[in-house]
Amino acid sequence: MKNDVMGIVYTSKDDLNLRELTSQRAVAAIPVAGRYRLIDFTLSNMVNSGIHNVGIIAQKNYSSLMDHLGSGKDWDLHTRNNGLFILPPFMTRDNSGEYNGLLDALRSNFDYLRRSKQDFVILTDSDYIMTTSFEPMIDQHIKSRADITMMYKKVTPEITEFSSSSKNNHVYMDIDSDNAVTNLEINPNAASFGNLFLSVMMVKRTLLIYLVDQALSRGSHDMYADVLLPAIQAGSLKIMGYEEESYYRRVETIRGYFNLSLDLLKPEVRDALFGKNPVFTKTRDSVPTIYRAGAKVTNSLVADGCVIDGTVENCVLFRGVRVGKGAKLKNCVIMQDSYIEDDVELENVIFDKEVTIRSHGRLIGQSQYPIVIGKNITL
Amino acid sequence: MKSKKCIAMLLAGGQGSRLGLLTKVMAKPAVPFGGKYRIIDFPLSNCTNSNIDTVGVLTQYQPLELNSYIGSGQPWDLDLSYGGVYVLPPYMTAKSGEWYSGTANAIYQNIGFIEQYDPEYVLILSGDHIYKMDYNRMLSAHIERGADITIAVRPVPWEVAPSFGIMNTDADHNIIEFEEKPKHPKSNLASMGVYIFTWKILKEYLENDNADPNSKNDFGKNIIPKLLEDKKSMLAYEFADYWKDVGTIASLWEANMDLLEENPEFDLTDPRWKIYSRSPVMPPQFLGAKAVVENSMLTEGCEVYGTARHSVLFEGVIVEEGAVVENSVIMPGTRIKSGAVVNRTIVAENCVINANARVGEAEGDIALIGQATIMPEGYVVKAGEQVDMEAIKREA
Repeated sequence: MKNDVMGIVYTSKDDLNLRELTSQRAVAAIPVAGRYRLIDFTLSNMVNSGIHNVGIIAQKNYSSLMDHLGSGKDWDLHTRNNGLFILPPFMTRDNSGEYNGLLDALRSNFDYLRRSKQDFVILTDSDYIMTTSFEPMIDQHIKSRADITMMYKKVTPEITEFSSSSKNNHVYMDIDSDNAVTNLEINPNAASFGNLFLSVMMVKRTLLIYLVDQALSRGSHDMYADVLLPAIQAGSLKIMGYEEESYYRRVETIRGYFNLSLDLLKPEVRDALFGKNPVFTKTRDSVPTIYRAGAKVTNSLVADGCVIDGTVENCVLFRGVRVGKGAKLKNCVIMQDSYIEDDVELENVIFDKEVTIRSHGRLIGQSQYPIVIGKNITL
Repeated sequence: MKSKKCIAMLLAGGQGSRLGLLTKVMAKPAVPFGGKYRIIDFPLSNCTNSNIDTVGVLTQYQPLELNSYIGSGQPWDLDLSYGGVYVLPPYMTAKSGEWYSGTANAIYQNIGFIEQYDPEYVLILSGDHIYKMDYNRMLSAHIERGADITIAVRPVPWEVAPSFGIMNTDADHNIIEFEEKPKHPKSNLASMGVYIFTWKILKEYLENDNADPNSKNDFGKNIIPKLLEDKKSMLAYEFADYWKDVGTIASLWEANMDLLEENPEFDLTDPRWKIYSRSPVMPPQFLGAKAVVENSMLTEGCEVYGTARHSVLFEGVIVEEGAVVENSVIMPGTRIKSGAVVNRTIVAENCVINANARVGEAEGDIALIGQATIMPEGYVVKAGEQVDMEAIKREA
């Protein structure tokens, strides 16, 4: 039964609020938690749920994503009949080369959808971090004979700390006592429903093809407003909710990314993300991290390949970071191969990959507004 | 198919009995080293980095751990459709079947494997040493000289020379004499157990050796002396870089500690000569609010809430708050509980050192704790002692 589900990961979203972090990469490819990219969590969830056919709909800046995913072998997605399929946009007579939303992206990949053999599709975004198994949702979907099952989580302030300028689909669901979805709110300023849609849904593959085709042929472009909401209102589809209780954070803003990174220092959060199932990522063959004689590292998450001489407190250090003698880092997220020279002082700072800060440099951000330094910059 | 110029055969069947409890449940090449590696990663990575893409790994003793570690060979880029890495245990044929009776016999029994690739040269390796070596340069020397066999040699301190196979050479690096563990060595050039043979010659000698009922079927004892006797062209290839035999508890501990030097003689970080290993799929290491980690090497999945000084911690090792680990090597999955003190000890995989245990001493020999030992609270292990679950049960 598990082999009867395929996955489609939609990687393209509004990303202006992530500033430097997405200037050269898709949101799905944002480095997170020391050695991962956001998409690793979604892909690992799929693989750990027995899903072995996964299509990645890539749109903008997908070269870093392709480089990261490769053949899919790090996720065991390089099998003969299924595996990983990267679906970049391409120009056709009715496609200008850029997807105009999820429906358009799915329409452009009908060939892949039709060719796939699985009965069901799990369709998900990739701008969030969560470790879960999709198996209970798959079971519920099949048992309840739903047409569509939408994954949701009860709203709490932490998971809905979105930016007001964000145009992302913030969908809230109203659900009755039988778990049936009775109404949706799409991008409300103030939500009145207490269930946040986690951008994960399950649907029969042939029904998905039909719905997408119908919507686009009527000039509709929004999956939620033009397909799901009318169907709920007309009662034409059986749409169910599935409550997910796992830790979930969507990455939409720099502040959200920073808060999530510091959240990883809590044991219960690490346990929620890494304690259930393995999270796979591209291996890099880094050497172990070396802590030198004067190093003082506390309450920090550190990846392999670092060399640390200085003081590091409440930080996330990615692979290959070097922290010089006398350097002091507090509440920082330092990405791969960045070099903090001697006697540098950093607080509330995010460094993208390969940033170098020369000795005696000093950067102090605010916890509500961390300083972000883009990739490959030398200060 | 196109024939391979040179393929490697890695002798991984040795028991490694001088490593005591450590090799009770696994072959020596599978022993963890350097935070995230196994001993076999070094010869395998050397092969990959030397563009030798076909490796037969000859196993016999406790092969399970090694088999699953090597798997498809993907971490070393040795998962190829023509070539790649193959684990070669002894096997049965219609008429007979036997264990590998010696190093030469192990190769003899796999002549069929080697001939599939129709190689000109065969590189023989052992899985006992930590070193980075470009086998291609050795192969070039072998070809240039038109040698029948080239043996990698390394100068060792005179006082330890009696424990090695010693090569006596002439001015042109021709080997003129070979002495296995001589009492009074004439040279300090020790064999590294790395040989390149011209395959035609090796095959002939293996077949003759097999036909000789008095032979021990061993490279050092039989094949090499026979080649000398026949005055074959035998070249010594001198290798001067870091090379460490990790065949004893003390040398294994020392080689791990060598990595903690400020400018280590053996540098794992050289991007041009990466050492590859199978990734454990674990989150980054975490250091707690009260952690003290100095002069140490940690890897993925480690969690330190207590103190780790001058130590090497492998994946998934947990040092609880109030626990102290010093001058030690802690292998994967081991947990050091609050109040325990570990000094100058190698702790093997998946042990639990319970509260207030005192393991090892600041002076004296290195202590060893065997795989999956659950050490009772307050248990004391003296310097140089070897303890495992059996020893603890016997005592209780």
